[in-house]
Amino acid sequence: MRNILTIAQKELRSYFVSPMAYVAIGFFVFIYGYFFVVSLNFMVRVSMQAGMMGGPQTININEYMMRPLLGNMAVVMLFLLPALTGRSYAEEKRSGTIELLLSSPLTGPQIILGKYFGALALFTLMLAVTLIHVGVLFIYGEPELGPILSGYLGLWLMGGAFISVGLLISSMTKNQTVAVMGAFGTALMLWIVSWIGDPSSGSTTTEVLAYLSILDHFDDFSKGVIDTKHLAYYLSFITFGLFLTARSVDSERWRG
Amino acid sequence: MIEVQHVTKRYGPVTAVDDVSFRVESGQILGFLGPNGAGKTTTMRILTGCTSATDGQALVAGYDVFEDPVEAKRRTGYLPETPPLYPDMTVREYLTFAARINGIKSAARRERVAAAMARTSVEDMADRHCGKLSKGYRQRVGLAQAILHNPDVLILDEPTAGLDPKQIIETRELIKELAGDHTIILSTHILPEVAQTCEQVVIINKGRVVAVDTPGNLTGRLRGSETIRMAIDPLGTDPAPAIEGLAGVASVTAAASDSDSVVLEVQCDEGADVRRELAATVVSSGWGLLELTPLRMSLEDIFLELTTSENPREDDPEPSGGAEPAEAAPEEQVEAADA
Ligand SMILES: Nc1ncnc2c1ncn2[C@@H]1O[C@H](COP(=O)(O)OP(=O)(O)OP(=O)(O)O)[C@@H](O)[C@H]1O
Ligand SMILES: [Mg+2]
Repeated sequence: MRNILTIAQKELRSYFVSPMAYVAIGFFVFIYGYFFVVSLNFMVRVSMQAGMMGGPQTININEYMMRPLLGNMAVVMLFLLPALTGRSYAEEKRSGTIELLLSSPLTGPQIILGKYFGALALFTLMLAVTLIHVGVLFIYGEPELGPILSGYLGLWLMGGAFISVGLLISSMTKNQTVAVMGAFGTALMLWIVSWIGDPSSGSTTTEVLAYLSILDHFDDFSKGVIDTKHLAYYLSFITFGLFLTARSVDSERWRG
Repeated sequence: MIEVQHVTKRYGPVTAVDDVSFRVESGQILGFLGPNGAGKTTTMRILTGCTSATDGQALVAGYDVFEDPVEAKRRTGYLPETPPLYPDMTVREYLTFAARINGIKSAARRERVAAAMARTSVEDMADRHCGKLSKGYRQRVGLAQAILHNPDVLILDEPTAGLDPKQIIETRELIKELAGDHTIILSTHILPEVAQTCEQVVIINKGRVVAVDTPGNLTGRLRGSETIRMAIDPLGTDPAPAIEGLAGVASVTAAASDSDSVVLEVQCDEGADVRRELAATVVSSGWGLLELTPLRMSLEDIFLELTTSENPREDDPEPSGGAEPAEAAPEEQVEAADA
């Protein structure tokens, strides 16, 4: 456990020593703020229209604002997280520092988990900073806390899944750029895989594809529903990704 | 103690290490020699768990590196070919990190880091970023990292590469000092270094061991018949016939001559020591004896002789495996190379 923490600290530190962490956090928070303002405007317009038509004066902030906002942030994560995890293994392999870790008395899983938690910690920080915006909502409105929390949990789990994909792809190459592109491509595939099937047909293939989609499982979270089915999906996705990373690191030892 | 038994490593069609066996006793230093691409780095990476072997067995400090890697690694310090430094850490931060992953308790960490920095003389760079160090300092910090946790076994891949002459000497001294309570394998391309520091030499070529012996034995055994170089002031006469006539002298060749000296290379019959007779002949003829030196084969000559023959083991019988590969292999090898 202590070993995992040591590696995680080292990873987190390396993000903050390069401008990487600041750029990522800054970018994430900026985009979040932008979408925040846009959806706030949209909501205000909708609620004014609703008022003119004699409807209720206030409309659901959760439904009209937070849900689309968190959905947009999921797309941003699709781009941002692969960029974050790309260097993780690739750079260590390129520079040879991986030999320091491989020849130390750390086990493979300890190194992998350390790297995973390091990246996850940075991502968690990114998410945490956006809570400032949410705080503003609570000052000026009365959003429901539950769906916001579950939405954040969903985002967090989804981010965790992206990070495990990113780590896997990074472990397969020495080239950071390839790692970033590969992770982005893989994550995108997993995102849109449900589009392949025709939802109206209801065939098993379509259902399986829909089940695989990293996006579909997020929906319920953003509605405020924490379904163990989706929780299990993300957790097993992450575990499987890390397992494959371990295999990839191991097979690398056999080949190179 | 390090024991390598029949280790083979293939990269696809390339056999980088081919049935390599040797043994290093506790507290000894073994020099690992071989031309570029011989498989030295690959063997060392196998011993340190950075890569796996296709076949064979290896024991480090009593632990099988494939069965019990964590215990073996706990007792191993490794300096890879390129020192594995994180460019954005300072030397002190880096060594502290290395101490942590090697399980050094936080109470002892500071002291160990300081001790390792002192031994490798990198204290003046302690707060410099590793990425901004010169090549030589990188090498030294890499070495500091390897000795940090006081491991039983040290595996050093070209530890003196890139160092200045003063540092080379200091590093050799350090390595010699470390031997005794550490078992050391070092690879190098500097042959005198091996003669000076190592108790045993393994010469490897194209993945195969071609000789295992002490530096002294290796030079001695390969010498075969002895050549003696002498410089004479013959006072205008030709000294060669007189010397050729001596018992035990096989042939005489004039290597150089000028107005007042002649340099001869005297090839002796095997086992004959004719130095006294040579000196007596020169003196009794009234010539001046300026120099008389037995020419030994240097480690360089041996290295070249063993590693440049096309297929060193082609016509060799099966390498005698089993209990004492380190003893048995060189005999055959040396003879094969000699023939
Ligand atoms: N990762 C790899 N993939 C494929 N082949 C490799 C790999 N690493 C080494 N080799 C091959 O294995 C052989 C031995 O290489 P190795 O690096 O062990 O040589 P070396 O003795 O350390 O040489 P040098 O003196 O140049 O450092 C070479 O033919 C090399 O091309
Ligand atoms: Mg090498």
